Amino acid sequence: MGDLLELRNISKSFPGVRALEGVSIKVASGSVHALMGENGAGKSTLMKILNGIHRPDEGSVILEGRERVFSGVRDAMEAGVSMIHQELMPLPELTVAENIFLGKEPVLGRTGFVDFRKLNARASIVLERIGLDIPPERRMKELSIAQMQMIEIAKAISNDAKVIIMDEPTSAITSREVDVLFGIIGQLKADGISVIYISHKMDEVFRIADTITVMRDGRVVGTRRAEELDNDELISMMVGRSLNALFKKRVTALSGERLLKVEGLEGDHFTDVHFELYKGEILGFAGLMGSGRTEIANAVFGLERPHAGRITVEGKTCDMGSPRQAMDHGIAMVNEDRKMNGLVLTSSVAENMTLSSLTDLSTWIFVDHARETEVVKREMLRYRISAPEAGSKVVNLSGGNQQKVAIAKALLTKPRILILDEPTRGIDIGAKAEIYSMMRELADSGMGIILISSELPEIIGICDRVIVMNKGRVSAELPGEGIDEETILRHAMV
Amino acid sequence: MKEANIGKERFYRRYGVLLSFIIIFSVLALTTPGFLSLSNLTTVLRQISINGILAVGVTFVIITGGIDLSLGSTVALAGVTAALFARQGGDALALPLIAGITTGLVVGLVNGLIVTRGKVAPFIVTLGMMTILRGTALVVSDGRPVSNLSNAFNAIGGGDLMGIPIPILVFLAVVVVSHVILDRTVIGRYVYATGGNEKAAYASGVDTDRVKMFVYVICGAFAGLAGIVLASRINTGQPNAGVSFELDAIAAAVIGGTNLSGGIGKVTGTVLGVLIIGIINNGLDLLNVTSYYQQIIKGVIIIGAVLIDRNKR
Amino acid sequence: MRKYFNGLHPAASLLLLSLAFAFGCNTKARQAGKPYRIGVTMLSLQSEFVVNVKDAMEKYASNDSVELLIVDAERNADKQVQQVESFIARGVDAIILNPCEVEASSPAVDRARKAGIPVVNVNSETKSTPDAFVGSNDEESAEIAIEHIAKLTGGNGNVLMIEGYIGQAAQIKRTSGAERTLAKHPGLKVLAKQSAEWDRAKAMSLMENWIQVHGDRIDAVFAQNDEMGLGALQALEQAGLKNKVKVVSIDAIRDALGAVKEKRLDATVYQDAQGQGQGAVQAALALIRTGKVEKTQVLIPFQLVTSENVDAYLNRR
Repeated sequence: MGDLLELRNISKSFPGVRALEGVSIKVASGSVHALMGENGAGKSTLMKILNGIHRPDEGSVILEGRERVFSGVRDAMEAGVSMIHQELMPLPELTVAENIFLGKEPVLGRTGFVDFRKLNARASIVLERIGLDIPPERRMKELSIAQMQMIEIAKAISNDAKVIIMDEPTSAITSREVDVLFGIIGQLKADGISVIYISHKMDEVFRIADTITVMRDGRVVGTRRAEELDNDELISMMVGRSLNALFKKRVTALSGERLLKVEGLEGDHFTDVHFELYKGEILGFAGLMGSGRTEIANAVFGLERPHAGRITVEGKTCDMGSPRQAMDHGIAMVNEDRKMNGLVLTSSVAENMTLSSLTDLSTWIFVDHARETEVVKREMLRYRISAPEAGSKVVNLSGGNQQKVAIAKALLTKPRILILDEPTRGIDIGAKAEIYSMMRELADSGMGIILISSELPEIIGICDRVIVMNKGRVSAELPGEGIDEETILRHAMV
Repeated sequence: MKEANIGKERFYRRYGVLLSFIIIFSVLALTTPGFLSLSNLTTVLRQISINGILAVGVTFVIITGGIDLSLGSTVALAGVTAALFARQGGDALALPLIAGITTGLVVGLVNGLIVTRGKVAPFIVTLGMMTILRGTALVVSDGRPVSNLSNAFNAIGGGDLMGIPIPILVFLAVVVVSHVILDRTVIGRYVYATGGNEKAAYASGVDTDRVKMFVYVICGAFAGLAGIVLASRINTGQPNAGVSFELDAIAAAVIGGTNLSGGIGKVTGTVLGVLIIGIINNGLDLLNVTSYYQQIIKGVIIIGAVLIDRNKR
Repeated sequence: MRKYFNGLHPAASLLLLSLAFAFGCNTKARQAGKPYRIGVTMLSLQSEFVVNVKDAMEKYASNDSVELLIVDAERNADKQVQQVESFIARGVDAIILNPCEVEASSPAVDRARKAGIPVVNVNSETKSTPDAFVGSNDEESAEIAIEHIAKLTGGNGNVLMIEGYIGQAAQIKRTSGAERTLAKHPGLKVLAKQSAEWDRAKAMSLMENWIQVHGDRIDAVFAQNDEMGLGALQALEQAGLKNKVKVVSIDAIRDALGAVKEKRLDATVYQDAQGQGQGAVQAALALIRTGKVEKTQVLIPFQLVTSENVDAYLNRR
């Protein structure tokens, strides 16, 4: 079997982030090539390059022995590369046949009218080819998600796809539907079509893949034949030793002094939440997106009113009516999605950093500029925030530096409790390491930290204790040593 | 090359409006006889002071991402109210001043309350208030100009202090106070933060509702002050005065670089915007351009100035 | 707050509230027991002169057994036509129309006549002919003003003309009347003419700017209404030029009469609001009772008001 597709030495940077560095992958024709790696490893950037959405800074895409530069999704599709997205985008009011042949409908003579008989007949042929028993006249909205996915595959086939990229295709379908999907993938292989299969699920990958490539931090860790690998080896490739080096272990013992106690908290997206946070502790909140983690943090920080429950800070019951009140009780929070909820992008580094603590830096109603400048310069040095000057607009900073500004802002309120919601999302590995060591230092100095994160290695690596959320409820509380991804996932998903 | 570009960009960002002003000023100075005389320039300053006071006030509101369309009607209502008090005594001054400014304050308070408590879009609230206040001004004055005002009151618009007309001094005071508030105080910072990203400002502990109340109240109070200056300048409280004043004020703020979507704007920019509109009005009258063409030229210059401002970004 | 509006849409409750308020305010107009009802639509109740005409109508109507339904067209001809349509629907006995525009208000006249309801135009004209017209000829007012300027300057001098809102009937007629009369006096030269949109503050700014260009050369100012005349007057006084420059304007509103009395304003031209208002109601009543009027065109003459005769006009108010 020759190589159908080769990605050669591809690099790509975004402002402030090096997303891909010298990535090379070869995909044999008629094979299933799995692509694995944690969030932010560079998988989706790589696929966007292959799909014509991004252009690489360096390197080349070679399809069937010819170097290609795709100008867009359509261009890539015509060359034979199709992508099935995680979130499907069908037109629900149109029929199956119309969706498959969107933009290339057979036309009646020269009238410009669609020839529906021919359209449906052609659709039937394509559907039969992948063994799918769905009438072509059916409206898209009447199908299940799995069926829609298969229609997308049919669409790719109708485009004479040679490579089909599937991004987490089983994330929303049942195990019986997975069997059907894998049957279709087998069919594609037999027809000489290659599949690039992106997934987190190891059992599936071992079931279907011929070859596995693992990526981490924008580089390829390794490419192996599937039968040469086992579970443990795959995990160590994905997580890497380097990640463990990022996390510093605690140096002081926990004092057991309680900072925060939450009892019977109930809101729109969570019920009956109990937990405690101790001095010097890093408490992790794991769970799937939408499991209520952020909403609980918002309730504790006064951003959302809970329906019921009690929040006690250092033995005092507190009413968290607004973030200002929460700050007065010694709580600070760095919000998820810093551009939406965290930073004022039209303002400067200094103005953002001191926004929460401005009254401490003022005399009567006036801002004390000299003192403010001094504080901002000090903090910029401490957290190694690289910006041309304190007056630079934050919008021009890299993601990591923006996040450090947001953290500095929270810390300037001198909190005893710090809530970090997805603090490392979308920032590069260097900035991540700095944030991890900053967290450890703060905890060692006696602060209580709540870390909400979707990245399990991060939760496992740094937290002293982990609370797992599942559909708005606390499903497990996992103490100290011996937390692993599997246990967390089991509690988060089952 | 890149360095030079950044320098150029920063120069435009800081001085783009100034550049427009200098260009228009130079053109008028070269083409218009009498434009450059000291007495004409004083005249221009006196004429712009009312729009100036309003424009600085509305700058606060626009920076928070809001808008105030009720300015013109507030001017009329405050002018009529002040005039009613100025008519009663031969020497009345303090009472009409208090009445006019209080009227503006109350209008701002109502605007702010409906925007923050009622969660109604500022455009809608102040559009409604625009007609409510106009109607109120007509009711209060019985549809007629309120005249025979005290000499002390009329002196605000007509008199001068050390050779400088009082309206100019009032405008200057408004500019200085507003610049200090926006540039030096805590609440000023909160105004920018609220307009730049309201959610983030609230999550940072800023009471964004209070900030919004503050900007509508200060904008209303300034409108009240403008109403007083106008009434005393024309020696009457006119219930139909100030129609579409809000548009000139908003235009001045926008020409001066204030961003209608919030977060960006400076008092100094707004002052330049006011000056640009002022010298255009004056210059076109001096050149005896008929009012048909005056309207076209003004519109073109407003769009042109904003285009220059846009290109620099 | 929200709780109390449950079950009733907030906008609906506000609407109810404002309606209740409106009815409360309207009680004055709804006097019962009057045999005749006349619908009156006025150009704009924000203009003092129009308000004076309206007041004169009300005063005259209170003596007679007639109920007036007065509405404000707010300078909107389309609205005025709708108002007349609703008068027709309510079955009024006659309609008095103070037109917004020559052409655009004509359908109002046509509709009323078609419905067999007598129409009286007051103050200004429409293209369609009503049953009666009571008003004055605007050209005449400008003629009187310019003749007075010619008299004060001895027929020689430089004149500035401040016009009303360009395109409105009053502006067009006052400008043409002025220009025709100026042609008779070759010694009078027009330095500039410009619109100040009937507004006092705008006229003041305009005059300030003119003083910068023309300064000492100005001998007289003709303003097409008193508001603008008073604005110009104020600018001249502040520049210390008033004793050299004559100012004459039109309408004889209260402020202007006061200024004439104080010998600040040189003259104004009296448009007889009382005569027009009274004449309009008289004509309407005649049409209701007898179906005809003595004259289909009643022209109320303009009168020049100077410091000599001003007291007589002040007393009429």
